Amino acid sequence: MKYALVTGGSRGIGRSICLQLASMGFPVVINYNSNRTAAEETLKAIEEAGGHGELLPFDVSDSKSVDAALDGWSERHPDDYIDVLVNNAGIRQDTLMVFMQNEQWDQVMGTNLNGFFYTTRRLLKDMLTHRHGRIINMTSLSGLKGLPGQANYAASKAAIIGATKALAQEVGARKVTVNAVAPGFINTDMTQGIDEATHKTLIPLGRFGKPEEVAALVGFLASEQAAYITGETISVNGGLY
Amino acid sequence: MTREEIVEKVNNFLVEEIEIERDLLKDDARLKEDLKIDSLDFVDIVVIVERNFGFKIKPEEMKDVKLLSQFYDYIEQQLSK
Repeated sequence: MKYALVTGGSRGIGRSICLQLASMGFPVVINYNSNRTAAEETLKAIEEAGGHGELLPFDVSDSKSVDAALDGWSERHPDDYIDVLVNNAGIRQDTLMVFMQNEQWDQVMGTNLNGFFYTTRRLLKDMLTHRHGRIINMTSLSGLKGLPGQANYAASKAAIIGATKALAQEVGARKVTVNAVAPGFINTDMTQGIDEATHKTLIPLGRFGKPEEVAALVGFLASEQAAYITGETISVNGGLY
Repeated sequence: MTREEIVEKVNNFLVEEIEIERDLLKDDARLKEDLKIDSLDFVDIVVIVERNFGFKIKPEEMKDVKLLSQFYDYIEQQLSK
């Protein structure tokens, strides 16, 4: 059976993506790193909606943790494979570059960029041999235009866009598509502390987005209808560029 | 496993899974130029060899493997370890 894996699936946009993919019939592997309670809530919400899911904790920034968790999953699921991978796990540690510590740079790169690499590398072989797969990478408005105080975050998200384009060309011949989704300001824990009243005046659609509005696009990219779209970065930002 | 068994197994998966014509499978066939095995086919071969012969190909060990006969040699050597 074809499964979907969402990294950082316990909260925010990741949770909405889990619910969206489950509603499309995918059994969903919900990855989380530390917040088990939130991940269990996501699983409960999937099950209440009639879907199926399971939890799979690992730290995307640690290649050994990624391989150990996914090797274990494969052993428990000898007849299944992960056909849809949503690289969603991400963190922010904003500060002006002059004040930025090595750890703030490294941790953001570790989760946002290395996490994408470790998880995708581990799952790619199965997609290639099954001649089908969907990889959807969460990037950001910040990766397209840059935002002050986010040199680390913007660099990690811009790098994801480059990797998306390169990988799409590597694996297209095996019907594996690779795309990126770039949300703008979306109401989640990550944007708490950003004043919507001030910022919404900059957004043509006049409001912050909802996680499910991002998840709908991810669902489309995971579907068969999107079979001819690859290497793309699609924004969900209310018109803010 | 004898050399003949290795050749038969390898040839069968090249025909059935990589879709190479059996007539092309000669000892001196060049993997890239004659058999048109590309880097994505190589991913399949790594997986199939692991399944059929029980060991993992290390890509760096394959860099001098240019001909089909050398690929049989490589598998034979790995199995004898």
